[in-house]
Amino acid sequence: MDIVEVKDICKTYPVFRLNDVSFSLEEGKITGFIGRNGAGKTTTIKSMLNLVHTDSGEITYFGLPLSEHEKEIKQRIGYSTGTVSWYPRKTIREIVHVTKSFYPTWNEEAYRKYLSMFGLDETRKPIELSEGMKVKFNLLLALSHRAEILILDEPTSGLDPFSRDELLELFETLRERGVTILFSTHITSDLEKCADNIIYISSGEIKAACTKAAFMQTFGRADETLEEIFLRLEREARS
Amino acid sequence: MSIILKKEMRLSALLLTYLFIGFAVMTLVPGYPILCGAFFITLGIFQSFQSAREANDIIYSALLPIAKKDVVKGKYQFVMLIELCSFIIMVVLTFVRMTVLKDSAVYRQNALMNANPFYLGMVLLIFGLFNVVFVGGFFRTAYKIGKPFITHIIVTFLVIFIAEALHHFPGLEVLNAFGFDHFVLQISLLIIGVLFYGVLTFLSYKKACADFEKIDL
Repeated sequence: MDIVEVKDICKTYPVFRLNDVSFSLEEGKITGFIGRNGAGKTTTIKSMLNLVHTDSGEITYFGLPLSEHEKEIKQRIGYSTGTVSWYPRKTIREIVHVTKSFYPTWNEEAYRKYLSMFGLDETRKPIELSEGMKVKFNLLLALSHRAEILILDEPTSGLDPFSRDELLELFETLRERGVTILFSTHITSDLEKCADNIIYISSGEIKAACTKAAFMQTFGRADETLEEIFLRLEREARS
Repeated sequence: MSIILKKEMRLSALLLTYLFIGFAVMTLVPGYPILCGAFFITLGIFQSFQSAREANDIIYSALLPIAKKDVVKGKYQFVMLIELCSFIIMVVLTFVRMTVLKDSAVYRQNALMNANPFYLGMVLLIFGLFNVVFVGGFFRTAYKIGKPFITHIIVTFLVIFIAEALHHFPGLEVLNAFGFDHFVLQISLLIIGVLFYGVLTFLSYKKACADFEKIDL
């Protein structure tokens, strides 16, 4: 069952255009969103969070249009990015104390559990956290309000291989619990391990949105890895 | 207290902004353009905006399950809270200068503006203009603070200069009344200040909501 639908979204910037982007996310699946830097991944994700206004198109979550049900939808989704940290000089405890008052569904027990699982200390500040720990902190906030959908913008960028692997294992655990994950990255090897579906974007256009197996079958040649397919497709697009 | 105001106070605000409320005490400084106190209070608010911008506060707020206009509302509520706290201190100290210190030589021989209801009205005018020029200006982009603040500095010091100069013009000496002299006129000027503050802040808030709705974060 599709839990998120993105239909024909367009956004024009002076030097870039997101062109009729459409895809859907299956409930309880991990969808990898791949594309090189500047392909339109972050613009698409920001559109899905209503941080960027699209020129046209529609985004629905749980069958509800984002334009009309933003508050309700944001109660049920979580966002994390590997590149931004919030309130770097406030303690985790202070940030959590304020954030939880916005979520009636906040689960203190789940918060304590993930806090311990991620090895986070409430007295630490985001500025003191490694990149991997920052992603975990964002995930902690999302999971503690029982987000059903996680939208993750390049969560593994800047992580060492061990931290990346740890995070991917966590995504798999969350999938088993029914959480839907959209995970943008340009590190395709991350998706080899955990993605069920692949969305491939290039120059603002969706080139593929299908299962990982179908993607490999359609675009891959003998014994090619996802990364090799991705690199070849990008080279072909440039030539 | 609304949760968005609580968020502003606990996460977005700097301690410095609260400390700068103390500049309201400049109401008591003799031989000094006391309206500068209002400017320093807005400088404290500016510091919080600057710090919040570095902390990605606007995007964090926009990701919370609230309407975009609530993000704007939170900022305005916070700004108004600081202004109100400062104004209350200024009212109390102005009352002290109008009563206990009415005949104090340091104030009687003061060539600069006296603390009276007209002064309080001008404080509110400065706060109202700050809400339009700086806070409203900030929400046009949600990240640019330099240009709106420089514009605010120019506007505020122009207002201070005019307010300080007015009572030196023949016939306008009543603006610098001591104690409860010309009380009806003085209170009327304060009420005009209150109205200016209310109207300017309301219009600025409405425009900021519309501007913030349009911008991409």
